[in-house]
Amino acid sequence: MPVGLQAEPSLGVPGKKRWAMVVDLRRCIGCMACVCADKAEYDVPLGVWRTIVKVKDTGHYPNTKRHFMPRLCNHCDNPPCVRNCPTEATYKHEDGFVLQRYERCIACRTCVAACPYNARHVLPRNRDRVKIGGVVDKCTFCNHRVEKGLQPACVQTCLGRSRIFGDLNDPNSEVSRLVARHKTVVLKPDKGTRPQVYYIKPDRAQTEQVFSAPHSYAARSDAEAFYRHNRGSKFFSGVL
Amino acid sequence: MFEYMEYNIAPWGAEIVIYFFLIGVAAMTFVYAAAPAVFGNVFGGVAKSMEPFQKVGLIASFVLLLICGPLLIMDLGQPSRFLYPILYFHWTSPLSWGSLFLPLFGLCIIGFYFGLVKGNQGLMRVTGILGSLLALSMPLYTGLDLMVNQTRELWSNPTIPLLFVILSMSSGTAVVAVIQLVRGQLNAQAVEFLHAFLYLALAVTFALFLAEWVVLNYGTGEKQQAWEIINQQFGFKYWGMTFLIGILAPLVLVAMPKLGRDPRILTLAAVLSAVGAYSFREVLIYAGQLTQINF
Repeated sequence: MPVGLQAEPSLGVPGKKRWAMVVDLRRCIGCMACVCADKAEYDVPLGVWRTIVKVKDTGHYPNTKRHFMPRLCNHCDNPPCVRNCPTEATYKHEDGFVLQRYERCIACRTCVAACPYNARHVLPRNRDRVKIGGVVDKCTFCNHRVEKGLQPACVQTCLGRSRIFGDLNDPNSEVSRLVARHKTVVLKPDKGTRPQVYYIKPDRAQTEQVFSAPHSYAARSDAEAFYRHNRGSKFFSGVL
Repeated sequence: MFEYMEYNIAPWGAEIVIYFFLIGVAAMTFVYAAAPAVFGNVFGGVAKSMEPFQKVGLIASFVLLLICGPLLIMDLGQPSRFLYPILYFHWTSPLSWGSLFLPLFGLCIIGFYFGLVKGNQGLMRVTGILGSLLALSMPLYTGLDLMVNQTRELWSNPTIPLLFVILSMSSGTAVVAVIQLVRGQLNAQAVEFLHAFLYLALAVTFALFLAEWVVLNYGTGEKQQAWEIINQQFGFKYWGMTFLIGILAPLVLVAMPKLGRDPRILTLAAVLSAVGAYSFREVLIYAGQLTQINF
């Protein structure tokens, strides 16, 4: 078992569940319904996201293309966030979820630094409706819905059925069939995290870290505005 | 359009950089103050030159620790839970070990001080040895805290903990030199002692700086990206503050046999090296967080 985990990885273990997600990029239309569903499900504050759809423009007019890439916590089987958490606030569930105990989290942001997928964020304090604040939060694969036999909110709302969720240990599940039939990739496999979000047919511009800086004028403007807006605020401390 | 959604980060900022620097200074100041009790007559009793520094050094170390603790706690999103890393100890997290060692280090400073005041050599020796080991663990754990992030390649480097220990040697030497110079107690033996440590620390820092340069240029895509970020966004801090002012200039000063042993020049070199020690940490901590924001 990888060090620091609370439960053995369940992938391929008979009698156990291993929840996973397949994202079919041929079907994603960039409608952002998944992002909105997630915001609604958890009252995710402005400025932070549990899931995003990354947009990438490539090429030059008239030969251009816009790529969409949904991103979320990869619920890794060797999660560095779990190993590095000093209070075990982040832990590995036996069904594969990587979850967060808000009552234990001290928001030291070690897990944020450890995650290679930018999947974690700090919740602001003094929120209006949900009282959980000042702690680190992340995608949970909607484990509260899954345990009741429902699909995660982002999967339920996905218009093009780009996001498919299920038990990888069940050979008859849709995710198992998709992973078996299609060429799938995971993000940053070289980091040894054993991520459990599988992508069908991503473009190289979306998976390469080094060469994926914002290309389009609009994207650069957005990024620069975001930098300017956050410079000097507490958690950015002028880093950007 | 929508690309700004990628920047879902909450990095370690100035509080952490200052903490990493000050805890290293506090640690090495204690090591110098405890050196006469720990080393005694070893190396010809040269450590005994620190005897006039012991009491003021312990106070300085403790004051720095009193700054470091609250600084670290205030940086947390939940400051009231600052004891949780000890209560819910997670052995794979360096931060847990650091949280445990930090108060123990404080206790050793207090124990050593009482031993010094009461003239209890046994207590001084025990707390001096334990405290020095815990002191070394302070910069070591801060470096490990970065090193264990295998997904951030600028940090995931076994030289980082060693580098942080070495940098804290430089900055600790600066505190000792300044205090002793101001008090007029920087005698020839003390100068010789500090000179040896500073020379060693600067030479190793220089070697590690070059090693970092090679590793980043000959490394993976992410390492090369880190090198670009360092040069584009932190060029002055890295080459100016760290290399020229913080490493090269003091190294040249201490390398000159006569000039390097002049108390004022030695103190100047030590202060410059402390500037470099802060700047080097700052660049590494900040740049290490920026390599993934475009991914």
